[in-house]
Amino acid sequence: MKLGVLYSGGKDSTLALLKAKEFHDVVCLITLISENKESFMFQTPNIHITALQAEALGLPLVSVETKGEKETELADLTRAIAEAKRQHKIEGIVTGAVRSTYQASRIQKICHELGVWCFNPLWLKDQVELLKDVVKSGIVAMISGVFAEPLDESYLGKQIDKKMVRRLEKAAETHGINPAGEGGEIETTVLHAPGFKKEILVKKTVTNYDKHAGVCTITEAVLR
Amino acid sequence: MTLVISTCAEELSELEFVRPLTELLGCKAKHYRSVTQKDLEKADCIVISGTALKDFAYLDADWSWLKTIDKPVLGICAGMQVIAKAFGISLKDHTVIGPRRVEVVAENSLIEGECEAYFLHTKTGIGHFRVLAKSEGTPCIIKHPEKEVYGVIFHPEVMNEEILEAFLQ
Repeated sequence: MKLGVLYSGGKDSTLALLKAKEFHDVVCLITLISENKESFMFQTPNIHITALQAEALGLPLVSVETKGEKETELADLTRAIAEAKRQHKIEGIVTGAVRSTYQASRIQKICHELGVWCFNPLWLKDQVELLKDVVKSGIVAMISGVFAEPLDESYLGKQIDKKMVRRLEKAAETHGINPAGEGGEIETTVLHAPGFKKEILVKKTVTNYDKHAGVCTITEAVLR
Repeated sequence: MTLVISTCAEELSELEFVRPLTELLGCKAKHYRSVTQKDLEKADCIVISGTALKDFAYLDADWSWLKTIDKPVLGICAGMQVIAKAFGISLKDHTVIGPRRVEVVAENSLIEGECEAYFLHTKTGIGHFRVLAKSEGTPCIIKHPEKEVYGVIFHPEVMNEEILEAFLQ
């Protein structure tokens, strides 16, 4: 089956892509560029890096801009999936949804309307196991956003490795956060993964952080 | 031992609809095409999974063994549809996607009171089964009049793990 991956450039959508490739042909990535940093549907930190990630993967990118307002962003997502269906003849999409019934049900409705399959290979996955899977599968993901106590500036720009998994697991125990960031506690940007023909070399970043909310924005990056 | 039976035509869908059940219930799964009489005999109870909205291949299979088996069975979504099929109940188109309120209408051993549940289906069928719970006026949990055979049209593994725990007991 030809599939498109709803791709934010983070660890979850990259892991979902790897799972999908085990069974089907992934023929494109689909990205929504949201102006709204508070969007419940779409990741925003470093979303512009998806262009480099698509190039590294050798996959075409269907990119659609959205204001990110609550219900119009769904129309924009519908437009993006319809465009991927038209351009790349996809029969289904893949998402990195884990727990959010808000996100998952909206995407399911859109797929139902458009008559395409919807696959959520990470659905209900234990979050610590998910983090371990990310590390084990060879995904190099950098933390590009933190949005909850006790996550501070020291997490930003760091790679999700075994040590970071233990740190996030501990933060989950002490502060009740979702260790994989399913509640929006962290956002990540993938710099390298199986299937990447080149890695993303980050040359410059700008960090903004205040009271347990911060973003590490990649301002200059190249493929190497 | 619990046996989870997969209704998924696509292996990729099993990560979404079967893996969560085997992890929650601590058991293994078999696909409906490869389930043997021996598997059914060995199981203490049987849970039949749901699958993707676009998938209807399971409806073409032979589920007649459900009529004769004398063990507790819980069919989830597509699993409820195959129970309906086995007992000669016709399915009608009925699409619900997303969280909805569920209200218990008859005392039962799976669930009491009210709750929110995650729905993802386009077909349902009730027939002569007893209605145990409704959502927005439509039956969503049913039981065979005599047997311990239950159908749940929503996905309890998402928001209602207690239903699965109650079924195992």
